[in-house]
Amino acid sequence: MSAEGGIDWIGWLSAASAVAAAGVLGMHLVRRPPLSGERGRNTKLWLLLGLGVFPITSAGTANVAGFAATQSRTFCGSCHVMEPHAEDSNDPRSQSLAAIHARNTSFGKDNCYACHKDYGMYGYVLTKAGGMRHVYLYLTEYHDMPLEESKHDIRILRPLPNANCMACHTTTAPRWLSIGDHASSLEAVRSGTVSCASAGCHGYAHPMTKLGKELDAGAAH
Amino acid sequence: MKIAEAWARVKAVRTETLVRAACVLGLVALPFMVTSVFVPTVWPVLVALSFGQALGTLSFALYLVAIARDLQLARRLRSRDAKDDAR
Repeated sequence: MSAEGGIDWIGWLSAASAVAAAGVLGMHLVRRPPLSGERGRNTKLWLLLGLGVFPITSAGTANVAGFAATQSRTFCGSCHVMEPHAEDSNDPRSQSLAAIHARNTSFGKDNCYACHKDYGMYGYVLTKAGGMRHVYLYLTEYHDMPLEESKHDIRILRPLPNANCMACHTTTAPRWLSIGDHASSLEAVRSGTVSCASAGCHGYAHPMTKLGKELDAGAAH
Repeated sequence: MKIAEAWARVKAVRTETLVRAACVLGLVALPFMVTSVFVPTVWPVLVALSFGQALGTLSFALYLVAIARDLQLARRLRSRDAKDDAR
């Protein structure tokens, strides 16, 4: 998928390869050409295209398109428990941290991935492995969970590390340090004892989920 | 032992049948692999990357088995002809 949400050239290449492969395979099944003799050699070459070259091209390009799609907000929001998060990001009037980032034209449509991915050398692989864990949990625990219950109960496994924010927002720039709260909490931000996405700082990324068990816990105290 | 039995069964199947099975499997696998391009949500992508790929790989593997068997047969025939010529 392209940034605009349509199908980009790699998607069309995948589809075209699949159609070509299907054409070759369909023709073989209908016409049943011989596999031996001189004509058999041609048949085998056509089958190499229909069973090897075209499907491998189709699968490879579909994989690239598929992995790119897994970074989009549409993909993240396709599990019902994530719908409120995606809707909030889609809302042009929302002032949540997630929605503000979604309006960034550089990565807006991939804002879930941009903030939640693991950084570092193996970040991509670790993020994808973590995604599989989400799928497993969704299948085994959350698939039939009502939306209100999911907003109340489902939380991120570990608090979002400030390092994810600092991947884009440097804490060394003079402009950043010129803000009093930044300068006074510099060590706490870097060490992670104060979260950038906390109520006293930039606010929650997904405030709609903070009306659940956090409030219950507060009331209990 | 089971692998050997399975291999023996595959060897007993005619090449034409193997290739036709590969074609059918390929035709089944292709829509699974491509759907994720048009519907990039969780299930189509997961099915494409697992089930679709597995079927596609199996289809190609059957084709390779058929080709390997053909080559083996051709080699046997050549060596038999060579022996006949030697006599």
